[in-house]
Amino acid sequence: MVGKKKGVPEWLNSPLWFSNLSDDRRSSRYETITLSPEPSSPPPAPPQPEPSPSRPRLAVAQRSEIGAHSGELSPSWSSPEEESRESQLLADFQITLSSRIINLGELRRLAFQGIPHGVRPTAWKLLLGYLPLDRTLWAHELEKKQTQYYTFKDDLLLNPSEITRRMEDSAGSKNEDLSCLSTGLLSRSNIVHGEHPLSLMKSSVWNQYFQEAEILEQIDRDVKRTHPDMDFFCGGSSLAKSNQEALRRILIIFAKLNPGIKYVQGMNEVLAPLFYVFRNDPDETNASHAEVDTFFCFVELLSMFRDNFCKQLDNSLVGIRSTIEKLSQLLKRHDEELWRQLEVTTKVNPQFYAFRWITLLLTQEFNFSDCLRIWDTLFSDPEGPQETLLRICCAMLIFVRRRLLAGDFTSNLKLLQNYPTANINHLLHVANKLRGPTVD
Amino acid sequence: MVLVLAIGDLHIPHRAPDLPAKFKSMLVPGKIQHILCTGNLCIKEVHDYLKSLCPDLHIARGEYDEDARYPENKTLTIGQFKLGLCHGHQIIPWGDLDSLAMLQRQLDVDILVTGHTHQFKAYKHEAGVVINPGSATGAYSSITYDVNPSFVLMDIDGLRVVVYVYELIDGEVKVDKIDFKKTANTQSAH
Repeated sequence: MVGKKKGVPEWLNSPLWFSNLSDDRRSSRYETITLSPEPSSPPPAPPQPEPSPSRPRLAVAQRSEIGAHSGELSPSWSSPEEESRESQLLADFQITLSSRIINLGELRRLAFQGIPHGVRPTAWKLLLGYLPLDRTLWAHELEKKQTQYYTFKDDLLLNPSEITRRMEDSAGSKNEDLSCLSTGLLSRSNIVHGEHPLSLMKSSVWNQYFQEAEILEQIDRDVKRTHPDMDFFCGGSSLAKSNQEALRRILIIFAKLNPGIKYVQGMNEVLAPLFYVFRNDPDETNASHAEVDTFFCFVELLSMFRDNFCKQLDNSLVGIRSTIEKLSQLLKRHDEELWRQLEVTTKVNPQFYAFRWITLLLTQEFNFSDCLRIWDTLFSDPEGPQETLLRICCAMLIFVRRRLLAGDFTSNLKLLQNYPTANINHLLHVANKLRGPTVD
Repeated sequence: MVLVLAIGDLHIPHRAPDLPAKFKSMLVPGKIQHILCTGNLCIKEVHDYLKSLCPDLHIARGEYDEDARYPENKTLTIGQFKLGLCHGHQIIPWGDLDSLAMLQRQLDVDILVTGHTHQFKAYKHEAGVVINPGSATGAYSSITYDVNPSFVLMDIDGLRVVVYVYELIDGEVKVDKIDFKKTANTQSAH
């Protein structure tokens, strides 16, 4: 077939999709790959060969809970070949991460295949540009960022009473203690900088506090309903509470430092996986300052996708509308039949499904562990996260093309808004194939 | 950080038509957590207005209040402080600090809020503090015609109270404050 193709690309018809093969990217390493039949019920997760036992077990247990209801588990837990592949990958990572100057290209290449749980925090911090590539600089960098964060906390998280008290202390006024003054009229003193709770002045800390109260309430509400099914985030335990408090602080500080976008609903969903991964770092010292690391990585991550959250940019060349349009064009280029079916025949406007996919970086479409896997690829791809995200979304559409081609508006919309569980490795493989100019 | 408004002796509509505009522009809903009203509103419309500022409204009965159901005294606890509320026309001599001290000991409160004299006062004696927010409308009192509109906003933060006094002098709002702390809860052992 030459010129404009109208049918399905050849590689899509490959037998790859009819077997439950493990990732064939690694097939060159191993001579034999046995087709292990997919177990009908999910097996209990075998103990992973992880560096330190405590933290990863928590995550693995949750992963198996979450994966329990999905029909198709990623085969990485079912065969011994997979386990040895995992340990090989882990070893590769550890070698790359132990060199003095880390080879970013090598890290990206390894991360593309999925990062083993134990090294994920460090890998993400490197990929997002938070940690410098020179290992010797890490301690200094981390300390700098920690002091910066504590300054932010100090400055931005105070309530107005405390701020006015500080102003007074610096202005040198003294308090009257009830016990030391026996009787008499209490003397009136001047207020500092014209600050009083009912002040309507724009510069007043009180006024600003009340105006921000709405945003704070919104943040509070969203944090409380982040991932209600996960014990890490929700539930009565003190761990969950402290995690929620940390999320809350990060979002408040971010909103105050970025008056341009402040807080938009959904930012909590983008923040949650970051915090989860860093908090469950097997290295205890790293996990203890997870909040600081999460904050700066969150800033990095959002700076790549900032334009999606800015309302004024919605209709501009960089806003969310044009990103969705790009996705549409990508689909048209790779699979015109499907594109025609969706846009023209069934008239499923991509804004109905792609908006959430793109702004929330697919956190709502897949279960938590799959989402972490997708983010591994998202961060590691040299093309950049925006482009990679669009390719993954396109792959998601192509993956369910048969059902979409057979459906009408209602069923298609329903399918895309509740995307079915899929084999993530296959999905990412398809996304990879969509790279560059038209695939033939 | 709890904001408590102490206000009273408005005498609307008999002696004053309304709160001064500058006060009204400052008193917006959503900022104040509690209102302690010393009484003499006098009508239901004023009650509704105060209720719109803050749902937690406490009123003590003044001698001209049309609603007879308000209590004579009221006590409540906010944070670490116990506050008492009474209009003050019952305490004779009116405005006498020793007699008010007696009432304070009787109610066993740290801060007593009273009115009736239409003059702002903040006074301390061994049992605690007495605050008189004055008249928010500047209505004439039984004692004098020379009244500046005033009210009080208390910022209760742990063991510390900052009392902001809002007075309308010559058409301008003047704000002062009074700062005091109390030592950790001392129970009267008598």
